[in-house]
Amino acid sequence: MRWLASFALIAMAGEATAQSADVRFIACPIFRDVDAGRKSGCWLADDGASGVRYDVGSGPVKPDWNHEVLVEGRATDKPNACGGVVLDPVRVSVLPGECTRHALPAEGFKGRPFVLPERNVKPANVARSAPQPPFKETSFYILFDWNRDFLAYQLDDYLFDQAITYINGVKPKKIVVTGYAATTPAKVSGRSIAETADIAKARAEKVTEALKRMGADPKTITTNWKTAAAPADAPGADGLAEASRRRVEIRVIP
Amino acid sequence: MPRNLLPSLLAVLTLGGVCALAAAQQPPTKTAMNSPSFAWWAPDDGKVITRQIDYFNDAGMLRTLLSGGPMETKDHPFFTAQGPTGRACVTCHQPSDAMSLAAGTAQARWDETKGADPLFAAFDGSNCPTLPQADRASHSLLLDHGLIRIERAWPSTDAAGRSVKPDFRLEVVRDPTGCNSGKWGPAARKISVYRRPRPVTNLKYLLAAGFAYDPKKGMPLEIDPETKTASNNNLLADARAYSLEAQARDAMRSHLQIAGPLDGQKVKQIVAFELRLSTAQQIDARAGSLDKDGAEGGPLKLEASQPGQLGSIGKAVWSEFEAWEKPSDSDTMSASQKALRESIARGAKVFREKTFLISDSAGINSPIGFGNPVRNSCVFCHNMSQMGNDVAPGQVDLGTTNLPFADPAPHLPLFKVTCLGEPHPHYGKTILTHDPGFALTTGRCADVGKITLQSMRGLAARAPYFSNGSAKTIRDVIDFYDRRYNIGYTEQEKKDLENLMKAL
Repeated sequence: MRWLASFALIAMAGEATAQSADVRFIACPIFRDVDAGRKSGCWLADDGASGVRYDVGSGPVKPDWNHEVLVEGRATDKPNACGGVVLDPVRVSVLPGECTRHALPAEGFKGRPFVLPERNVKPANVARSAPQPPFKETSFYILFDWNRDFLAYQLDDYLFDQAITYINGVKPKKIVVTGYAATTPAKVSGRSIAETADIAKARAEKVTEALKRMGADPKTITTNWKTAAAPADAPGADGLAEASRRRVEIRVIP
Repeated sequence: MPRNLLPSLLAVLTLGGVCALAAAQQPPTKTAMNSPSFAWWAPDDGKVITRQIDYFNDAGMLRTLLSGGPMETKDHPFFTAQGPTGRACVTCHQPSDAMSLAAGTAQARWDETKGADPLFAAFDGSNCPTLPQADRASHSLLLDHGLIRIERAWPSTDAAGRSVKPDFRLEVVRDPTGCNSGKWGPAARKISVYRRPRPVTNLKYLLAAGFAYDPKKGMPLEIDPETKTASNNNLLADARAYSLEAQARDAMRSHLQIAGPLDGQKVKQIVAFELRLSTAQQIDARAGSLDKDGAEGGPLKLEASQPGQLGSIGKAVWSEFEAWEKPSDSDTMSASQKALRESIARGAKVFREKTFLISDSAGINSPIGFGNPVRNSCVFCHNMSQMGNDVAPGQVDLGTTNLPFADPAPHLPLFKVTCLGEPHPHYGKTILTHDPGFALTTGRCADVGKITLQSMRGLAARAPYFSNGSAKTIRDVIDFYDRRYNIGYTEQEKKDLENLMKAL
């Protein structure tokens, strides 16, 4: 019976893998002031449902200690350097809800020195590898925080750079940009949350504008948007099904 | 401003053997070189600007290099009076002041001309054109704070000239100059803010686009509709001009009050000249030549280097003074000179390595994703090799203009911003500000108080600092940061940073 339920969940998620260890909750973040150099410092958040304190600091976007965060991640058994179970991958979305600012001292935790993420975009003067023929239809995905259309640093700029490098190399006949929003209500930490429908359009238009700025032929671009997004196999989501719903697909048709 | 610093001058000549040579037909005497009348470049002077222009200041000597050799300024539009004010570009971009304008220079000019210099034109060289122009008090913002009035249409247009529909309401809380009331204020679709002239030099660094993306905006760099090239929008405090050409036109229309069509050829000449300039402090009055014994200070290195390089993956920011980290065993240097050199080198390390928690600063803590707070050092933003401006361009709210972080400034207007849509990520629905900054260009509440990063070269020549002149001295800049971010600099660290910044 449990097997059937898991199967159904995976089937609903398409190719994305919604693993059992995935957690999703809303909380006020806690900053632990561990000085391990630049961009160090720990971010923690407590899941109210389980009472577990998680280390949520390894994602591309970090919390704001004045605002609630939506945490989506996968628990690991990585060393506890900050005082919580490490989520990795993890996505943190800063929500409008206000929080009482809370900072903890290091309390013996070492934290983690900053390591440049693999998804870092190269300087403008570094040549990109041009795509090699034969060219085939390819989709690229840009992922977004909850109800946001902001292209995140060291995630979306990298993903977008992959897409535009391919586009500028291929000179495709058609580019279909489709923005998605997770408008289907979901219950998280005792509240129902859903993205607004207009964010799908905003995301699509943002990416379309970005493509134009970076040299894509405007005449080849078609821009669409859809709500009630299902998960997708978007590499930038690192297998986090819920995060993959909030995306723009750039379909490149040579 | 240039000073009559004979003791320092003698020290400089002894240490560096460098003779100041300003643009003149006849070599000036050392005393004359430092007098306000000699240093001041008036429109239509018709002087020759030399390959190398040196001016003394309180900290030592500033040098500006003109690539390509000397240039006749006669009839050159940067140096020629244009429009009804009798001003030229050089009026507010003086070579002695690192191509900006020090408040002290304005004071000297007032004293010398009894307020008759075109610098004090009613339109923006006074607190407001409605005030009695012969009174010194009517020019107090320029004379005491180095501030020029910037009048913008409100609601505004963005850098591409598109009308902007603001997502906030702007109200005037305090109007000490009278220029934000009645026919001068928002009711008449105008707003006046007061800002320091930005240095028109080292511009290849400000124009350099190290990355194709602007992480602060979460988008690729904007495209200048005029040049069709990517613009990093690093030129003006509120980023209202994509290019030097647009900046020149903006200045000709506003500061020079030129009506009618602008001469495109003149704009090109102005931009071409500006791009030839490199400026930095060349000599520290106590440490000596800043490019000796392994150090690479001064403008020659700036002129020769490739702009847009990220210090963290290449040449570390202010590593120009790395060679001075080791104590010198020289027999010819005094103990105090050695100590100053070591202090400058330590200051560079403090600048790079002393980390602190940066919080509630839009452009850093939002919306970029670094987190609020984020631990980093001065080079987090001041990260470009040789220049210390931001490779990832854009505007940041340090709190220099927004309350409660801004220092008290009863001489400046105070505006109340009410966000009509989403609240500001750090201030909430309502913001009190002396200058909405970037928000005057974007119309976005989230951009209130964001200001384009300042240039860090030639600082000793152009006090006061920050866009609103709120820091009278370099030490005041350091103290502001220390207060704002609770950094906890030691007194020695502050002195080292001050010595470094005077040597840039």
